[in-house]
Amino acid sequence: MKRGTRPSGAQTLQWVSERGIFFFTAALVAFAALFIDNFVSIVNITDVFHRAAPIGIVAVGMTFVVISGNYLDLSVVAQVATAAVVLIAVSNSAGLGLAVLAALAIALLYGVVNGVAVGYLRANAVIVTLSTTFVGLGILRWLSGGSIFFGPPDGPIRALGQVKVVGLPLSALVLVVMTAALAFLLGRTNFGFLIRSFGSNRTATRLAGVDTSRVVVGAFLITSLSAMVAGFVLAAFSNTAVSTMAQGFDFGALAAIIIGGTSVFGGKGSVLRTLLGVIFVSVLTNILVLSKIGFGWQQMAIGALIVLAVSVDTLARKAARR
Amino acid sequence: MNSTPTLSLGPATTDRSARLRAALARRTEWRGLALLAVVVVATLSFEPLVFTAYPVTLGRVALIGLVALGLTAVILMGELDLSVASTLAVAGVVMASIPNVALGIVVALCAGLLIGLVNAFFVVKVGINSFIATLGMLFVLRGLAFVLSGEKPVRMADIEAGIAFGAPIIGPITPRVLIFVLVFIGLQIFVTKVRAGREFYAVGGNRQAARDAGIPVSRRLVTGFMLSGFVAALAGVINTMERTAADPTAGSTVLLASIAAAIIGGVALTGGRGSIVGTLVGALSLGIIEVGLTLSGVQVDVQQIFIGGVLLLAVITDPASFRAVVGNARSFLSGRRGETPA
Amino acid sequence: MTADQTTPEAPGPVVIEAESIVKRFGGATAVDDVSIAVRSGEIHGLVGENGAGKSTLMRILAGILTPDQGEVRVDGRPLTGGTRAALDAGIALVHQELSLVPELTTAENIMLGAFPTRLGFTNARQLRGVAATALREIGVSVDLDERVGRLSVALRQFVEIARAVARKPRVLILDEPTATLTPAETDYLLTMLQRLAEGGLAIIYISHRIPEIFRICDRVTVLRDGQLIGTTPIRATTPAALVDQMVGREYKLDLQIRRESTPGEVVLAARGVRAHRVHGVDLDVRAGEIVGLGGLVGAGRTELVRAMIGADIRTAGRVTVTAHGRTRSISSYQSAVRNGVAYVPEERRTDGLALTMSVAENIALPNRRRLATGGVLRRSRVSAFAQRLADSVGLRPPDIRKDAGDYSGGNQQKIVIAKWLGRNPKVIVLDEPTRGVDVGAKAEIHRLIRELADQGTAVLVVSSDLPELLELSDVIHVIRDGRIAGTLSGPEADERSVMSLAAGGGMVGKA
Repeated sequence: MKRGTRPSGAQTLQWVSERGIFFFTAALVAFAALFIDNFVSIVNITDVFHRAAPIGIVAVGMTFVVISGNYLDLSVVAQVATAAVVLIAVSNSAGLGLAVLAALAIALLYGVVNGVAVGYLRANAVIVTLSTTFVGLGILRWLSGGSIFFGPPDGPIRALGQVKVVGLPLSALVLVVMTAALAFLLGRTNFGFLIRSFGSNRTATRLAGVDTSRVVVGAFLITSLSAMVAGFVLAAFSNTAVSTMAQGFDFGALAAIIIGGTSVFGGKGSVLRTLLGVIFVSVLTNILVLSKIGFGWQQMAIGALIVLAVSVDTLARKAARR
Repeated sequence: MNSTPTLSLGPATTDRSARLRAALARRTEWRGLALLAVVVVATLSFEPLVFTAYPVTLGRVALIGLVALGLTAVILMGELDLSVASTLAVAGVVMASIPNVALGIVVALCAGLLIGLVNAFFVVKVGINSFIATLGMLFVLRGLAFVLSGEKPVRMADIEAGIAFGAPIIGPITPRVLIFVLVFIGLQIFVTKVRAGREFYAVGGNRQAARDAGIPVSRRLVTGFMLSGFVAALAGVINTMERTAADPTAGSTVLLASIAAAIIGGVALTGGRGSIVGTLVGALSLGIIEVGLTLSGVQVDVQQIFIGGVLLLAVITDPASFRAVVGNARSFLSGRRGETPA
Repeated sequence: MTADQTTPEAPGPVVIEAESIVKRFGGATAVDDVSIAVRSGEIHGLVGENGAGKSTLMRILAGILTPDQGEVRVDGRPLTGGTRAALDAGIALVHQELSLVPELTTAENIMLGAFPTRLGFTNARQLRGVAATALREIGVSVDLDERVGRLSVALRQFVEIARAVARKPRVLILDEPTATLTPAETDYLLTMLQRLAEGGLAIIYISHRIPEIFRICDRVTVLRDGQLIGTTPIRATTPAALVDQMVGREYKLDLQIRRESTPGEVVLAARGVRAHRVHGVDLDVRAGEIVGLGGLVGAGRTELVRAMIGADIRTAGRVTVTAHGRTRSISSYQSAVRNGVAYVPEERRTDGLALTMSVAENIALPNRRRLATGGVLRRSRVSAFAQRLADSVGLRPPDIRKDAGDYSGGNQQKIVIAKWLGRNPKVIVLDEPTRGVDVGAKAEIHRLIRELADQGTAVLVVSSDLPELLELSDVIHVIRDGRIAGTLSGPEADERSVMSLAAGGGMVGKA
């Protein structure tokens, strides 16, 4: 307990918790490239991106809610599916433009309802978004009758889903662009600054004269808009949409955020970290799939990673305090 | 010491009606009871069948409520257990994989206790927030259920035992309902009469005070998580017995439904406030709504909309958040009133 | 000097003694080589200014904190093993901040941690019985089955005491128990303590209120800056001598430091402010004037300033800020900030700073609009701006990239002040601006406050540190029970006059 002479174990922990994800992601990709057959192939890389893009887009958006100290937005499950179904169903009957507008209106509604309940009414985010999930999914299934919607095989959505940019699917580009845009928003703008500040200390932020309720609404709006984009990407990829298509996106996205090293207590983290978390989880899953290791083990690996990432962070902080 | 002077502070509550009023004001289940009353009156007038077909209704309530009861113990301490649904699946698969029914039940229940212990280890020893620790366990256990089952439903070896289990034993009461009632009574006694259970309120309501008073906080947390794990495993066993097979995806909707039941019953996520009776009231409301709507021919989807709406209403009318809003509005108005030119 | 062990007044044998206790927090030494011994049947007063180390010492005696050096002995046996061991040894502490569980009943709170059980089941009859006995012993009637969350603050204080008494303690420690009580309740409490001491209990009584000390204590120990100044029989000292010991000679008021001030027009004006614990206050602060708010802990000073600037709910009253000839009403905290109010809160770690963010970001927070173009923060502008302010408040080391949490208390307070300086505030409200701050930083913070006033800012300071209040303020309002009990300025303001106004309610039963 002497001051100034911190044990090296604590330093290692701190390094892992702060920089670990960058190193581990690179190491995992290198490992896969060297030792896993078929990992480096156009088909496989495209597949990894196809799977990573929708949940990745949700995760980078949800990072705003997490950094603002509000745990997560469970209702992304309903939001992503709604956006996908609306995009395909409405554009089939009323055209693509109207479909996008309708999806946008719904996304804004979700953001405002969640944000107002949490920001202005001070309700717990987990419960609020849990109830909007119930309501949202219920409405979607009721109106859609739970059926699968198909886009026309020669329609614009199908075409967009087939576009390739330098060999990679458009969805990958959307993920990269979204990450860049949201990283800029969170890291460089006043709005992002307030989100981080609120997550770090909400009382101090309020006492600096900030309308903190509005900041919370903003965080939920960003998450909702990202979920909408993720729904579009998901719909375009398969040219189909169904109300159950985003199952598991809620905790799946949160897992990527936590593994990326963003603190669930708010204040600490970044959009880039979330992207790395998404890549890490996707590559790991891909490795397991290529190695013929089943779904059960994949899930266990993700769970273990969550506990491990947070344990390292917690122990590092404990060690630093000593 | 009879001659010592007595200080009187505040109104004396000696007369019977004042005592009664005070006792009633203490309860936290009012919002839940109000909802239950509305639900009962509405179903009585629109779909009285819900109550004639009460075995069905009770079965539904037991399904929603059992896991919620165990979860309540954890929430009372200001913690959360997201792993209950996965625990249910794991316990079911474990039980179905063991040919001997009795041994299977024992092993499955022990698995539940062990899971609770692991959760508690991460929360108490490592010091991770329970929300995250049990989120990790949610994934790990779900994966485990898939691995153990080979990713497909596992049939029970002794199907006869399962069929026998599903039959009513006392009148229309099935073993599921009976177990639910027993767990309710057990937990109700635990949090109202048993020392450890009473101290859950102290751990959740004012953890520093609990420590200062010498309450073994860590041990109480371990007890809570093990209770929650045990009850979830019990639900898994019942599910498997009734269906004579265990599905690794079982219980996927249980987590959210059980949180909803506790919240509607007035259990506060911040800990220290709520009751087992409250959770029962919440589960009853949800169960009656579901069965009532089903019997009226309303689709499952619309039922979900109902439940979500009720939950949203419950959380935004929470007394604490309500006060914050009213207070803000009042000080805003008093400021505005002052702004008129004098 | 060490504790006097041969005082004739001390009635019984020594029950608890602490020898050469040292306790450090980070770099600061909170308790520095303090020894104290308390006898059975004695009421032992413990006095000292805020931050003198009283509460830390008591938490060590109660086993909540472990001393870095020294030893606590009960009946001559060393005490180790934390809270549990201290409880078993018969030491009961009544906390300054209430430590009750709102959802449990009165009886359960009294018996918290010591429920009588039979096979694990709580024995309700015995539980209520013991609780009732404890309440009877202190002579207070409370509904045993009422949830504590629904009791009044005063009743909760008595429930805390009942809890301590129910454990049949040998040593009872009370930390500022009268802060939230009315004169009648205080009077009752003091009589009760005397009765308990007659029964052989050793009582350690911490209070700011000198009259209370003189009324009930047998001996009194004075702490200053964590050091033991001395223990004296109460009959061998006077209130004036005690205050001198508490304040210290080197801290004698230096009137030279007082500014020549020529206050301008009224900038901050409050009329009929009512709020929680505030019962109708009118208050003016002029440009270039430093107004001090004195009073005891719990008198409603913090509540008053927070209600004035809209940080907490105001139930009645009007507050205005006048700048550039325009008078604006303050309807919310945001409108206060918009109209040029700056607020340095009492709890800087929890309310003043985002500790996990850099100094630059903390300073940028209230100034973000002018540091951004089109909503995008300019990094170079932010760091130049933050660096300039950090230098002007004398932050050491002046590294604005470090996290605010890495700095010491004094430097953290400078960061809070720096972030507001950037807005050129018309009004600045500071609550306990130098609590827990080392002497060097304290002088610098005082210099900053004076400079602000010299530049024409209206300054409102809440402080429990009497020399600070007297040195800084042009006018002092003393708050008692949520009202202005008196206003002092110029030569009439001294420690005694402030103290007597502040403690007015506490001078109960004084012959």
